[in-house]
Amino acid sequence: MSRVLECADCGGRTFYEKRRCADCGAETFRDRDPGVGTLQAVTAVHVTPDDVSEPNRLGLASFDGDASVIAQCNGTLEAGDVVAIAEGASRDGEDSTMTLVPAAVNDRR
Amino acid sequence: MIPQEFAAGDTDASPVGFGLPGVGMTAFEAADDRSLLALLETAAERALRDAAVDATEIDSVHVGNMAAEAFNDRSGLANALTASLGAGRASARRIENTSASGASAFHDAVDAVRSGGSAVALAVGSEKMSAADTATATEIISRITHEREYQQGVTLPSFAGLAADRYLAEYDADRRDLARVAVKNHANAANNSYAQFRTPITVDDVLESSAVATPLRLYDCCPTSDGAAAIVVTADAAPVTVEACESAVGVHAIADRRDPLHIESAHAAGRAAYEMARIDPEDVDVACIHDAFTILEWLELEELGFAERGTAWTLTRDGRTAIDGDLAVNPGGGLKARGHPLGATGIAQLVELVWQLRGDVPDGRSTGSPEYGLAINVAGFGNNSVCTVVGANA
Repeated sequence: MSRVLECADCGGRTFYEKRRCADCGAETFRDRDPGVGTLQAVTAVHVTPDDVSEPNRLGLASFDGDASVIAQCNGTLEAGDVVAIAEGASRDGEDSTMTLVPAAVNDRR
Repeated sequence: MIPQEFAAGDTDASPVGFGLPGVGMTAFEAADDRSLLALLETAAERALRDAAVDATEIDSVHVGNMAAEAFNDRSGLANALTASLGAGRASARRIENTSASGASAFHDAVDAVRSGGSAVALAVGSEKMSAADTATATEIISRITHEREYQQGVTLPSFAGLAADRYLAEYDADRRDLARVAVKNHANAANNSYAQFRTPITVDDVLESSAVATPLRLYDCCPTSDGAAAIVVTADAAPVTVEACESAVGVHAIADRRDPLHIESAHAAGRAAYEMARIDPEDVDVACIHDAFTILEWLELEELGFAERGTAWTLTRDGRTAIDGDLAVNPGGGLKARGHPLGATGIAQLVELVWQLRGDVPDGRSTGSPEYGLAINVAGFGNNSVCTVVGANA
């Protein structure tokens, strides 16, 4: 899941599945490419559940359309960096999920 | 200066005005060898004795608890408590609202009295977290997150670490200022015999403690705790009355916030509570703020209109939220140092406020002669907030 959900009615975006758009209440979403975003904050978490590696480095990144996501991120990333979303494995290994990575130079154009 | 949007305006709401004749709690500890039910019983009996109310007079029992099934392999708490107390004619129910279960149980008790269904309602909150090790407790609590967050291994400290990183980057506060929140709350807890941590700490102690979710360290974070707290609500007035109890929901996935430093549920619950109580933030003399993490004390003070955005840190730096400041914040030590047995916390905040407004605190913890007290109990990292205003009935 490296796509962002876009409301079919108002165009509002979210990375988090829900029944209705938080902005307009519409029930239909389309998958969109989130493009590149900006890392707003980072944290390295040292107290983690047993099946999560420590430290768990997480970033809060904002993308076009006011959509933000908290996701695991590359250890060299810092707030202010331009990032993209890559596929990653979820903690239980059963679902694909997202990882924040440095945006390739071509992605930033 | 109070943000204009919080200034009291014309409203049809009336202060609630129900009596809070009795409160009680157990000392919060890292591990209490009593059972979860025994903790509930102890707090309940202390509140009933304080109120001079017999268990047979109780019309309804409202138990706040988040995760007895996960921590203690236990359910049916409200029925077990009611039978044990001998409150045979009461109705009973359990309220779960994650870390705001306590305040939500109180909210439910107030609603029971407001409806006319109860003349005497007993709200009791408890959690016994010592049955789980830290990793297991972290896992249980992280289950409140959105599935997408959970897949990333996101925990509650994760949200706080990200918020603190953002706040310190965006505003002029520095890391030592944030540590001063913990220093203040530990100093207050030193004078509270019910607090889990009674040893004062220094800024350097905070900065040298182990990293939990950078930039936050161990002393920026509340502990896991065992404990219970109880409060009696009556239709009749008492020396301390509840003037407002309002709650609001927020986003579920925290990244869905338009502003990562905005806790919309705390803002909405606070605004509704001021309106109901017909007061402004500047009328509040003492506040119990949900400081599960030091950064939350600042964010909630801003949401509640005690400071403009990005300036709450100056209240800490200037001593204005200290025990002798113009707004004493967390005089009992807060979640940070009194402890945070999830389902008990929201009621323990009210216990502290009732004691403060009655003057039932030792000199070192006295906030003078407060007229109004405010508590905010937050579920998760703001999925839901419950804001209560209590007043001294002169």
